[in-house]
Amino acid sequence: MSSEEVPIVHLDLPARAEGVGVVRQALVGVADGLAIDEDVLSDAKMAVTEACTNAVVHAYDGHEGRLDVEMFADHDRLTVVVRDQGAGIAPRPTRAGTTALGLGLPLIAALSDAFEMRGGPGAGTEVRMSFHYERNGDPASENPITGGPGPSGKWES
Amino acid sequence: MLDDSHGDVLLVVVRGEHDIYTAPALRDRLDEAMAAGPVGVVVDLSGATFLDSSILGGLLEARRQAIERSMGYVVCLGEDPEPGVARILEITGLVPVFPVVRSHEDALDAARSAPADA
Repeated sequence: MSSEEVPIVHLDLPARAEGVGVVRQALVGVADGLAIDEDVLSDAKMAVTEACTNAVVHAYDGHEGRLDVEMFADHDRLTVVVRDQGAGIAPRPTRAGTTALGLGLPLIAALSDAFEMRGGPGAGTEVRMSFHYERNGDPASENPITGGPGPSGKWES
Repeated sequence: MLDDSHGDVLLVVVRGEHDIYTAPALRDRLDEAMAAGPVGVVVDLSGATFLDSSILGGLLEARRQAIERSMGYVVCLGEDPEPGVARILEITGLVPVFPVVRSHEDALDAARSAPADA
């Protein structure tokens, strides 16, 4: 059985704002036992936070739901998978009272060494991100964030 | 989050980790600071250890209000910021937008002398 198949951490939390910090703390705990570069860990904390925040803000449209997070430690990389069983990745307006800048996915792309997203309307969303313990380049240079804040307050690229 | 008044400039101090959970409280503090009608607002991130995009959203919303009210608005990172906090501001290109400065003195001077740009 390879380490790719069995997560070293599996969290199943209510998809609420207070859970995002719990996931971040778990990530720091996992990293404690790995030879992961400090800057990579810092990027991983941010990317994983953004993926969890997307699930909390967008997946369940104000209803209760679950946030499922798995972390896998391979010989050269940490992989984090964030899932929800929500409305899927079809873009929808954020409900009134919540605020989303729209920078989550650009940040995930800029801060991870690889990421993929799966899902669809009604099928939930899975975001899989990996982070090499030691890096040669900076993923933020390869996948730079473009654009800036528009007059509406949303990010415009 | 603490507020501190420096004459006509209001300092909003953000310490520790901040994300979607604490973003509403930060927005409320920034709204209050704006409503107090200072000449300028400085958001001090020198003691912040983690910020996500929902916090950037709150800081941008406050900047928008500052522009509307012709107030100064400056984000201060301090001389020795947490690397992750500096990084999210740099990779999003927001350093010149807010603007972000390092020293408290520069931040207070800038917030006092210049209204935020549109």
